[in-house]
Amino acid sequence: MAQQTSHAQPIPAQMLYDAVLAAGVTDVVAVPDTHVRSLIALMRSRDDMRFIQTATEDEAITLAAGLIVGGRTPLIQIQHAGLYACINHLRGVAIDGEFPMLFMIGLLNRDPSKAPRDHLDSMVRYTEPLLDVFDVPYYLLDGPEDVGQIEVAMRQAQERRGPVAVLIGEQTA
Amino acid sequence: MEPTMKRMPLAGALDALHRRRRDQVVVSTMTVILPWRDRDVTDRDLRCVGFMGGASTFGLGVALARPNVPVWVLDGDGSLAMQLGSLLTVAGATPRRFMHVVFHNGVYDTSGSQPILSEGRMSFTGLAEAAGYTKAVRFDDVESFDAALDELLEVDGPVLVELMTEPLRRDYVKPPVPTEKTPGPLAQDWQRVRDHLAASPAR
Repeated sequence: MAQQTSHAQPIPAQMLYDAVLAAGVTDVVAVPDTHVRSLIALMRSRDDMRFIQTATEDEAITLAAGLIVGGRTPLIQIQHAGLYACINHLRGVAIDGEFPMLFMIGLLNRDPSKAPRDHLDSMVRYTEPLLDVFDVPYYLLDGPEDVGQIEVAMRQAQERRGPVAVLIGEQTA
Repeated sequence: MEPTMKRMPLAGALDALHRRRRDQVVVSTMTVILPWRDRDVTDRDLRCVGFMGGASTFGLGVALARPNVPVWVLDGDGSLAMQLGSLLTVAGATPRRFMHVVFHNGVYDTSGSQPILSEGRMSFTGLAEAAGYTKAVRFDDVESFDAALDELLEVDGPVLVELMTEPLRRDYVKPPVPTEKTPGPLAQDWQRVRDHLAASPAR
């Protein structure tokens, strides 16, 4: 399912930002993440998408669900550790609630020369298998040429009425 | 639970709220869902079922998307205890027309009345104040709550109202085993509420 390049490259924050905006995102609901800190800094400084910080990933999911009820199109920006932390909300809200939710998940500390599921670090290694368990489609963004997948993922989330994830393979530039 | 603590009947508290129900989006969870629905089911009612602790940030999302729509969250004590950080998230977002009602009965009523932690020593009002809610107030009788409610509804939020209520003391009731896949309460509710809000652009 995921695309995997031989060596992940950093994606410039501005390029990711433009791709998220082009996908129709109106609000970014995020928990602080060092992997995409340059993107978060950019999102905080601009006002064409609203940036909302939450204390936990559980809250990011429920807050995003409320935004969807109010007619908005959110992106949930978290880290792989945050995905592990919010599994019951992913199941109970995004999946069982049938919410079209796009997740952006940073693979902090990923070795860019390895496929995530071949990684020694359990935090990186279990991300894709966990998404597989919950039948959540995902796209690995391993360089600038992959950013178009964000719009594809958003469209897929809306069509399937459920969660879809994009994984940020290398720390953003 | 402290045996001497004064508490109000849940029904009286819900009646006081129901008398003020107009165009609010009401997000309910846990013990209060069924008795609230006995009073009112509108196109602006959402049930948080299948996860705990998310009602307030769910309501916050609606409030941020539709700032002119008043939002009430009918929360449980055990539920909020699972996501105390959400008090910071709500306070930080400063939703103006947002009332967070916590029904503090001291037990996990839906799971067999196990006690919540630190009962008799903790205060959701204190936690909300410390988190940065605009106003937080506790009531232990229906009359005081009813008398103060109109004024509370005029306060720029977020407002937390802690209602010391009597536990229902229900035994755990095992839900029926599903025989086919059907949309759960949340999936049934949210698209109807979204469509209703979309058809009411001024509100």
